[in-house]
Amino acid sequence: MAVEIPVDKWTGKIRELKFGGGGRKEVIIGGASTLPYLKFEGEPCNPTRVAITIHDCEPPYPPGLLSAWGDVVKDPSEWAKKAVEIGADIICLRLTSAHPETANTGAVEAKATVDKVLSAVDVPLIVLGPGVAEKDNEVLMAVSETAKGQRIALGNCEEKNYKTIAAVAISDGHIAIAKTPLDINLAKQLNVLVSDVGVPMDSIIMDPDTGALGYGIEYGYSINERLRLAALMGDSMCQIPIINHAGPETWRQKEARAAEGVPAEWGSLDERAVIWEELTAIACINSGADLLVMNHPKAVEMIKATIGKLSA
Amino acid sequence: MSKYIATRALRGAQAVVKEAEDALNAAMQSPGPDAKIELPMTAYYLPTIYGMLGHKVEKISDLQWVVDYCKTIVSPTPADNLWTPYLGETLDAGMATLFAEEVIEGIGYAKGERPQSKNGYTYNGAIDDVQMRTWGVALVDGRMTGFAAILGRAKNDEVAVKIVRELQAKGQLCFFTGDPNDGGDFITDQLLNQGVELGYDTYTVPLGNNTHSTIYAAGFATRAAISFGGFEPGDARRNLFYNKFRCFAFALALGPIDDLKYATAAGAINYGFPVIADTLIPNISPVGVTQYEHVVSMPFDDIPGANDMERAERLVEKCIEVRGIKLKITKVPIPVSYGAAFEGEVVRRADLRAEMGGKRGMCFEWLSMAGMDEIEDHKIELIGPDLDVAPAGTKTPMAIRVKIAGRKMQIDFEGVLERQIHHFLNGAEGIQHQGQRDISWIRIHNSAVEKGFRITDLGEILYACFKNEYGAIIDKIEMTFYTEEETVAKMMEEARAVYRERNERTAGLTDDSVDLFYSCTLCQSFAPTHVCVINPERVGLCGAYSWLDCKAAYEINPHGGNQPVPKGTCLSEEKGEWEGVNQFVNANTQQAIERFTVYSLMDAPMTTCGCCECVMSILPEANGVMVISRDDYSNSPSGMTFTQLMGIMGGGAQTPGMMGLGKTYISSDKFISFEGGIKRLVWLSKNLKEEFADQLQAAAEKVGVPDLIDKICDGDIAQDSDGMVAFLTEKGHPALSMDPMM
Repeated sequence: MAVEIPVDKWTGKIRELKFGGGGRKEVIIGGASTLPYLKFEGEPCNPTRVAITIHDCEPPYPPGLLSAWGDVVKDPSEWAKKAVEIGADIICLRLTSAHPETANTGAVEAKATVDKVLSAVDVPLIVLGPGVAEKDNEVLMAVSETAKGQRIALGNCEEKNYKTIAAVAISDGHIAIAKTPLDINLAKQLNVLVSDVGVPMDSIIMDPDTGALGYGIEYGYSINERLRLAALMGDSMCQIPIINHAGPETWRQKEARAAEGVPAEWGSLDERAVIWEELTAIACINSGADLLVMNHPKAVEMIKATIGKLSA
Repeated sequence: MSKYIATRALRGAQAVVKEAEDALNAAMQSPGPDAKIELPMTAYYLPTIYGMLGHKVEKISDLQWVVDYCKTIVSPTPADNLWTPYLGETLDAGMATLFAEEVIEGIGYAKGERPQSKNGYTYNGAIDDVQMRTWGVALVDGRMTGFAAILGRAKNDEVAVKIVRELQAKGQLCFFTGDPNDGGDFITDQLLNQGVELGYDTYTVPLGNNTHSTIYAAGFATRAAISFGGFEPGDARRNLFYNKFRCFAFALALGPIDDLKYATAAGAINYGFPVIADTLIPNISPVGVTQYEHVVSMPFDDIPGANDMERAERLVEKCIEVRGIKLKITKVPIPVSYGAAFEGEVVRRADLRAEMGGKRGMCFEWLSMAGMDEIEDHKIELIGPDLDVAPAGTKTPMAIRVKIAGRKMQIDFEGVLERQIHHFLNGAEGIQHQGQRDISWIRIHNSAVEKGFRITDLGEILYACFKNEYGAIIDKIEMTFYTEEETVAKMMEEARAVYRERNERTAGLTDDSVDLFYSCTLCQSFAPTHVCVINPERVGLCGAYSWLDCKAAYEINPHGGNQPVPKGTCLSEEKGEWEGVNQFVNANTQQAIERFTVYSLMDAPMTTCGCCECVMSILPEANGVMVISRDDYSNSPSGMTFTQLMGIMGGGAQTPGMMGLGKTYISSDKFISFEGGIKRLVWLSKNLKEEFADQLQAAAEKVGVPDLIDKICDGDIAQDSDGMVAFLTEKGHPALSMDPMM
């Protein structure tokens, strides 16, 4: 007996968002008109893209992750090159050294790092500040100017601090990342606020936040899914592509850090940590992520294979 | 529109366009038509011309088109016998003036005669793109509140310095221009005389030695709008709107105003920048092109104030107000710490330095709306003894009198704002506040007074908090604290009359008297298909948001969780069903809820999030409804406790026969009016019965059953169905003989 697959009809569509240009490789994300990868419901859209995290200084990674990258972690341009070899569609550069509690570097250093990374690779860039409002604004203003015309993404715009980043993004033609802490109302509201400052709707990507597997992935899943459902039902302020930091979230958790034998049932650390990252990322894809940020080379390989199968 | 101003501006425009034409003709001879025109480091050519007209000026000959265009938009001056609106003509003349000034300044650059200098001081001249970007970002993100273009000369050097210092303190960028006609020294000279450091770093930029150089300020605004507004050069309409709504600039004309200044001011008005003059000129008060008044005259010597310094302060305050600039206060300036951490703090008797209100005390808070000109912003006064002289162990009588003025202030917001006093004052370390109106009770800790805390500091707290959180509706706050018993006692009676009047007004605010309800979607983070529709006669189900609260919240944050819901066509008056409400609910519940009645429990009742103060449920055996409150842990005749009932209906479900509600809804005229109202109430939590005894009694009398409350069962009488029915039967509860509910 033939099984009839129930098909939902959606009126809304996620906006397409273009990274790069101006001599840089272009990467387009978004465009979905169905829940993720339900090809029988609508036109296939751009596949989920994978960005790889790099830092502007050697990050406090656990040994397994650090050794997977090797010496390149000491040099952001080398690190970026290696990330592209491994398959990064986009590089996600974190200006960790600008944090007041680390090296407290400023605009000059940030500009220099971004210039180096931009000339080392030809894929688009995401640049994230250290997460301290004042410093974010200082370094991202400089970064924005130096990358003018190459359409990178700048983050994070947050509820309490979005105007400066939004302003330079408009002025220099970049993408603004709107980040909210696991709250659908705030996610939508921040999209409204950022666009109200003047950022075009096709230059916003939203980071509704997620937790790693076992650390709130169900919240992240639910927020992604509801944003996506609202978007497909026609809410234009939710029709914005989603970025999820599956990698960084995973590597904060003890399952990715605790040594072997504590407890013994947890098995091999390397294997465990990479699978943890992969499963977190798969949950993000299933709930609507358009762009994943990953950390471990092996996890990137696995998740790209999964995306390949989903898109086939 | 003032004919006087129109005439002067048109005359000024005609003259300056002629001046530009003459300058152009001369420049065509030398340095010649192909001579380059370049302002320093800019990609925007002559930015006002490029931004407004989309015309690129790269060489002298490119100016011909501009001059010709100017001539087409300048009208003749109005005839003596003609009294028509001149606004359009004056605005066009203003734009022509700006273009002509830019032509003249551009030629100046081509000839190497710019930037100007005087007595060895070189003016800034044109603003480069790097600086434009830095300031532009600051304007967008709010670090810079706006800019002031100051023309002419202040009354004296000291006044000039005071005006600029006040503007700097308010985060305004200041541009200065003057004209040889200003009588020798103009504001730049006045500031230099006083040793004021001028330049980009101090936000004080002298543009030039003529009125024409004011164009550089317009050029900055025009470019910033293109750069941060995301539209193309030549899109004049969007550029002007962007400046009106986002660039909080104004022109301040000091001293006599000649035709060219009038014409330049007319140019500024196109951008939505109002003009304030310290001399006697006609006002242009109606709003329109600018957000508030277009032209405000404030003759300097007539400004109220003890001396010139105070007058200068008032003048700047007026500028800020007319442009609608909202300032944030980053730190509450009091001698003790301030923050959420101190909100729950209790001041014990042993630590008590002063106490107001409470048992046998006298303390009240009275906030009212005042006219913009009736009060003085940030005036905080104490009349009577202060904390440090209060005799220990006694009660200090106190009246807190707050007056608020604001362009968007409404009388309905008085109560909403007054209720914030509790929350605001509690944030200070060593201050405990309870209650509101005439039952407020304040305790102040010994250590706070030792650190220097005084009664006017209560005012500083309120000032900062009101301005920061309600800046959208508040422009001015004046506060007086009274601590003399006789005065306080007398004022208390006045205040009570106001409270009574306010109560009556709120009672008179009915669903039928408004066209708009408000939504509350704050709970959608966990209940995605729940929307509270809040009407005057039903508070939000959490009890925290009334219709007035929502109205104020929407004024303050138009993108927030409280949105207006137009009622639209009425589908059923009895059930309280409106087309507009249905549409709003449908669109905001992911289409999960299609219909929504406001007055019915049985047909499409409101959904419930999880925050409701009470739950209502049908009890078929009694042909009525029960209401149990969140703080009643007992069982109910439905066989379920509050928590169990919530488990069924929370999370955004629409459950006919069950609904969450705020406590005050029970005594509302619109309490499930479709099913028969309060007469259906057969069981009520004991604590609610006690807390709302008066209101319930009044509601019972209104429906003609004065002994109704005694017939309603509660948890002390029965917590089971049989016991309740026996009680209702014995008392003869009216619900038993009403039409069946199902």
